[in-house]
Formats: sequence, structure tokens, C-alpha cells
Amino acid sequence: MNRRGFIQLSSCLSGGWVLSQLTPLGALANEVPDCFQPSPLIKLCSDGKIIVYVYKQEMGQGVQTSLPIIVAEELEADLNNVVAEALPYAAGNKFNYSTGGSTSVLYEYTPLRKAGAAAREMLIAAAAQVWGISPDNCRAQKSRVINTITNESIPYKDLITKAAALPVPKEPVLKNYKDFSLIGKSGIKKNNLKDIVTGRMKYGLDLKLPGMLYAVIVRCPVMGGKVKSWDEPSVKKIDGLVKLFEMKEMGEQLETRSGVAIVAKNRWAALQAQRLLKVEWAYPDGALTRSSASYFSEQSVKLKQRPDVVYDVKGNTISELAPVTKDWVSAGYQIPFVAHAAMEPLNCTAQFKDGKFELWGGFQNPGKTATVAAKFFGLGSKDVFINLMPLGGGFGRRLGADYSAEAMQVARQIPGVPVQLMFTREDDMKFDFYRPASSHQLSAILGADKRPSGWQHKIAITPVADFLLGMKGSKNWLSMEAEGGAYGDMYYNIPTLQSSVSRTESPLVEGWWRAVNFTYNNVVIECFVDELAKKAGLDPVAYRLLLLKDMPAGKIKGGALYEPERLAAVVSLAAEKIEWNKKRSAGRGLGIACCFYNHAKAYTAHAFEVSVSKEKKITIHRAVVATDVGTVIDVDGFRNQVEGGFVWGLSAVLKSEITVAKGAVQESSFFDFQVCRLPDVPPLEIHVMESSREPGGAGETSVPSVMPAMINAIASATGERVRILPIKNKGYTI
Amino acid sequence: MPTYQLSVNGKKQSVDVPADMPLLWALRDVLDLTGTKYGCGVGSCGACTVLLNGKPVRSCQYPASVCAGKEIITIEGLSEEGTHLVQRAWTDLNVPQCGYCQSGQIMTTVALLEQHPQPNDEQIDNAFAGLVCRCGTYARIKKAVLRAAELNKK
Repeated sequence: MNRRGFIQLSSCLSGGWVLSQLTPLGALANEVPDCFQPSPLIKLCSDGKIIVYVYKQEMGQGVQTSLPIIVAEELEADLNNVVAEALPYAAGNKFNYSTGGSTSVLYEYTPLRKAGAAAREMLIAAAAQVWGISPDNCRAQKSRVINTITNESIPYKDLITKAAALPVPKEPVLKNYKDFSLIGKSGIKKNNLKDIVTGRMKYGLDLKLPGMLYAVIVRCPVMGGKVKSWDEPSVKKIDGLVKLFEMKEMGEQLETRSGVAIVAKNRWAALQAQRLLKVEWAYPDGALTRSSASYFSEQSVKLKQRPDVVYDVKGNTISELAPVTKDWVSAGYQIPFVAHAAMEPLNCTAQFKDGKFELWGGFQNPGKTATVAAKFFGLGSKDVFINLMPLGGGFGRRLGADYSAEAMQVARQIPGVPVQLMFTREDDMKFDFYRPASSHQLSAILGADKRPSGWQHKIAITPVADFLLGMKGSKNWLSMEAEGGAYGDMYYNIPTLQSSVSRTESPLVEGWWRAVNFTYNNVVIECFVDELAKKAGLDPVAYRLLLLKDMPAGKIKGGALYEPERLAAVVSLAAEKIEWNKKRSAGRGLGIACCFYNHAKAYTAHAFEVSVSKEKKITIHRAVVATDVGTVIDVDGFRNQVEGGFVWGLSAVLKSEITVAKGAVQESSFFDFQVCRLPDVPPLEIHVMESSREPGGAGETSVPSVMPAMINAIASATGERVRILPIKNKGYTI
Repeated sequence: MPTYQLSVNGKKQSVDVPADMPLLWALRDVLDLTGTKYGCGVGSCGACTVLLNGKPVRSCQYPASVCAGKEIITIEGLSEEGTHLVQRAWTDLNVPQCGYCQSGQIMTTVALLEQHPQPNDEQIDNAFAGLVCRCGTYARIKKAVLRAAELNKK
């Protein structure tokens, strides 16, 4: 698509900042004479600006900082010249915009380095031409090419035209790790920092287009329920209402609800009407009898039955680990639904004009909107153009395309006019794609060497794939719910291992939540390992190191390489830093847990020192994390992720829970869906392994082990083993 | 629709809004001051915190009509270039992740330092107990408050 095409498509825009993001993808260097685009992702201009286009979505994890650093490192660009811009989503654009799973740096590292290095080689070749010397006598530094014979230099901006005429090298030479001047160096600030601290950063909800209308939806509180009727006169008096109409369910993968859309000239009118509108619903049979308690009992029944899918992960098949010896240990765990509750409630602005949609907002997976949501209207991805804005938090929630699909359905009713659909906080809380609730039964028999000679992990859960992938009823996707230690990725050396998953039918829509299946499987495994250590009479750190001993390195199911010595190293480091072996006063408890986050190649261990009062009030005296993710790109940004992952995990273990009654979510805001606040959070001591290995991921990897480390610390301090999350349900407070 | 005189960041402006429209929406949708964020609309998260006659308030809980004649300061009123000492402290410590809640956190800090130029832990805890940051930047917020207090001395 050429630049003209972009401008035509975006003709309704008035906001200059959006226009400045338009990118002539694949444009030839000579089409824009002042700029040179050696790769679709890099543009060097004669005004000195170096634009790096980022197609991964910025949601606080820092991709608008870390990814440009990777390019700038190889390009030898002065970071002060580098501008990061979001690449809009358009058909024909082959980039993988989907952002999640801690994969952005992991997957983009090498391609971005190559793109930067290719541009650097072209600029050096251009300068060499100017001086009539060999490129070998040139080097690049801080956006200039330097003549190593004469020490003369030419800024990149003066080499644009010459470089643009040169071929793009296919196999550019990459820098050595030891020569990095940006990657892994501290002191680099977030590149949108100034916009944030001045309030200028524009998120989806901050967008205002000429003539824009505002929409909210009254959705059926119960999954599968339908609108019977609504009482329009109840809102008639509200000034500024434009239109009320029925919202259709949009089917698999989108999972939108039946409801009534309210469109108004101003937001306040729409919000008032949403509060006042009376809607009659028809509920599916039995839906109103469902509750959290009934769902957990369905799961516990399933755990006692023959599982749907059994994974004989290692060793001989074991039908059932029976309580035959005194060395048998078995424990059941329960993990609740939780909401993402990103600070920016979901929203999307859409316009339907001339048979095409244009959208604005923050999306983790814009491609899903352009394909699955467009299909509902009989359109294809070529009919959808998406302006990508920063996300006020994602955490997996914005991988869903429900909110964009709804915005499209609303806009479709009012052609030619942009409409901003917003979720209130209540909507955001009650119509989430929740982290699944699950039940687990873990059993093991300790062998003569105190290690488990047999290990069984049974899971009852509704797979996320039912909803996000539209795979309702499929057994193939049950495996996804076993990842994190129960599907060929068990990270301890256990000779006979069996895990299984039983399908249940969730009363709520489910989705991926920061650290996904690790937030249940890793959590219960790490708690259970402590229970085994106790049974074996061994120290939890020593026991983990024993279980990691002789564990061979190798590829696990799914293809990730597992290096057990890296896990042992972070366990040892966390233990050392919290002074595990130091004598504590009575009442102090220590807890440790670790996580091999396989698909993001990360190794993490958390340790806590706590004490617990008679009233079960927890005091966290120290919190330590040791982590190894290979090469770290943006050092301070990485630490910020580790700090944030800690708070995320702490909220989940201590307080956060979504409950169901009469088929509907009970929580509605931050006063009843509880999360940690500033006074709850102790300082975290972060220890990062220095490494030149290829980078892993950061966003999710530092979450899981927080939870079992806390539970293990409480068990150590009090003797009480908690097997239900959040632990507030057992009376604990912070 | 009634007209109200709002004094925002030292500038007097008339707005025509329903009497019950919260200050939050008057600021954002009428005056285009979108630095103040909507997080919950029920005073449970603090993202919409602004200063009303120097006190930190949840702008989602104050009808615009009630705010007429009072001095309102929003994030946009601190400095355009991020030179206010609280903004400088935030920049020094690279506090934000997604950034969405940070206007509320920063305005809370401005009010806290006005009341307690050198706040202790308890005063910081009390000031921030009503605010949420889902990215989990709390440790940095606390450090930045103390940094701003340091800058305050100079």
C-alpha cells in the first residue's frame, strides 16, 4: 500500500499525532527523497531522525524502548536520534503484531539486529565511497561514520541519498556481545517517559475524533443469556441519546454477549442511560444455578473420575498412585478465577465508511480483529485498518477481540460516524476473559533416596482454547492447560511421572492472563515439592537441588531447551541472598520456589522471609528474586518488569479472586476485586544473572514463583499449609 | 444546560454541562484535558486524582457544578516539559510501565509533599492506600516520592 492509500483510508482523522504514525510500508527509498528505508522497520531521514517502527504493542512492558535499543545497537545510532513509532495494522503487512507470552524480545532480537546491522553496513559503504577508501577503514559510532585513517566523520543524515542507492546486504555482520554499548547497559530511560509524566500520552480512551459519538453496552450478566426486551422510556429523559439497539452475540473466538447498545452524543449521557436502562433477559437452562462453589465441586468430582487425557510423561504408565505405603503423599489445591483489571478499561473507537472499518485503540492482537471480527460482517482483513495506540495495561486481556468486535458492530449501525465504545470498570470486571479456575490433585511416593519414585498430577479445568481459540469441546487443547510442569515440561528429575487433564465446563469466559498456565501448574507443583520435602525431612532448598541433580539438559515437549543447572543456580542464588541458612528468631518463616518458564527461556526463584501474627496478619521482612533470562536488553526496564511481576503474583496469592453466583460475576471494581496497593508491597531485592546467551522474556516469567514462595514461607512460619488461593480465604491478611 | 466557571490550571473556563456530570468527564471530554484518567468511576483506584483547592480528590466523585469557583490543578498544570520536581523525580527513577495510572500517582505526590514536605513511611502509605497500579510500580513510586522530597529541600 502506498502513502496515498494510507491517507485516503484515514481521511476522517484530524489528530496530527495519528497522521504522523502513518508509514509507507515497503516504500522505495527514492519515493521519499529525504529518507532512506533499508528495512520496512527502519527509516533514516536527512533531518537526523532515525525512526524505528515497532509492530509489537506497548503495554508497559517497554517494547517501544527495548526493541529500538536492539536496532540502535547494531546500527550504531545515537539513541537521542531514535524515534519509536507504532506501525499501524493494515492488510498485506506480514508482521506478527500479536504481543504476548513474553516473546517480543525473544523473537525480534535477531531479526532486528540484522536489520540494524544491514543499515549500518550501507551507511559505512556510502561514507567509504565519499572518502574513496575501503569500508574496512571506516567504523560507525553515535549516528556517524568515522574515517579511521583521518578521523574525519560524516553524520548519517548526510549519507542518506548515497546509502539509499546501495544494495541491502543479505548477511550483515553482527556485533559481539562484548562490544555492546546499549544492550545490557543501565541508565536508559523509557522512551515515552516525558509523555507519561506530563499527561500527554494518548491511550485509546483519550482519542477524540470530529463528530465522534460515545457508546456503552448493557450486557447480559450470564454467559449465553439473551435480550428479551428493554424499557426505552426509562432513559428517554436523558439529553443527548442518539440510538439504542440490540447487540448480537458474535460467536466463537469473539465471545461477545447479547446486550443493548446505547449511543449518545456525550459520554455522560451514555453512562447514565446504561445505569438506568431496564433490560429483560432470557437465561439458558441451569445457568442461574451456577456458582464458584458448584464449579469447584464439579471439578473435584472430575478429579476422582477417569481423566479425559493422560500424559505419560516419563517412565511406566501408572494407573493410579494408591495410598499403599507410608511414603505416599497426596494434596489437593484450588486456584480461583481472576480478572486482568488493567487500569485502562477496555475501549475501541470504530468507524464504518464505504464498506470498510477503521479502528483506533490498544490491542494485543490486532490481526484477530482484522480477520475473525471482520468475518462476522462478511469482510476480510483488507477491509480493516487499525490505528494502534499504547495500551493502559494488557496482561493478556487485550488478546481478545471482543471489545473491538463490539465496537465494529456498533459502528456498523451508524455508517460514516466514528463511535467510541467504552467499558466502564464494572463492564471490564464483569466481562473479562478470566484466568481459569482449576483444581489439582498431586500425589507422590517417596523412594529410598527421598526423591519421588512416582508422581501424579491431575488437573480439572476448562481450557482457555474453548474461548480464545473457538475450540469448544476439543481434547487437543487440554494439553495447553498442563503446561508449566505437567506436560513434558516437568523440570525436576522424577523417574515416573504422569499427569492428566479433565475437562469441565466453565461458567465464565476464560483467557490468557499474565504468566498463563504457570500461574496454576507451577504454583501447585512448587507448593507440593515443599510438602514432599517436609515428608522427606529435608530442607526445601536442599530438596530442590536434590531433585535437580542429574537432571539432563535437553529439549522438552514444545521444543524449548531446558538447562537445569540454570534453575539450580537461581535457586542457590536466591537462597544465598536471603541467607537461608542463617538462624532466625522464633516465628520467622522462610519460603522459596522456582520456575522454569519454558517458552520464554527464563529461570526464576523467589524467596520470602515472613512472620505471621495470631490474627494471621503477614509481615514480609524480606523478598528476594534471582533470575536468569539470558541477555537483558533494557536493564532498568527489565527490573521494572520483575518488580511488576512480583506485585502481580503477590496480589494473586494474597487477595485477588473473581467469584460467581447465579451465573454472574460478583465483583465489580477495585473495592471488591482486591489487588495489592503501595502499603502492601515490600521492597524486592533483585539479582539478575549476567549472561550473554540469547535473550528470553521478561513480562510473565517473574510472576509464577512469587505465589508458592509466599505459601511456603507461611507454612514455614505457622505450620499451616494453605492449598487454596487467594490465601485471604484462609484468613490471612497483609 | 447550565454553565459553570471552572478554574483549571490557573485558567478560567466556562463549561456547559449537566450539573451532575463528574469533574472527570468535564475535564476530559469538554476541556480536552485527557491527562486525568478514568479508572473506575467509583473512587476505588485513584487514577483520576486532581487537586481541588490544593487537596487531592477523585475527580470521578465530584460533580463539575460543585467544583465551580475552586482552584483545580491537573497533571497538565504541573509543567509542560516535565520540569516540576515530582515529574523530575518520576523521570529520574523511570517509574512508569504502561503509565495509565501515573497522573493520579503524581498528583497524589504533589498534594502529599504540600502537606508533608518530608513524608515518613506512614504518611506515604496513607496517601497511596487508595490508589491502584496494576503494572506494580509501587516500589518506584515510593522511591520517587522520597526523591521528590529530597529535591524539595533544595
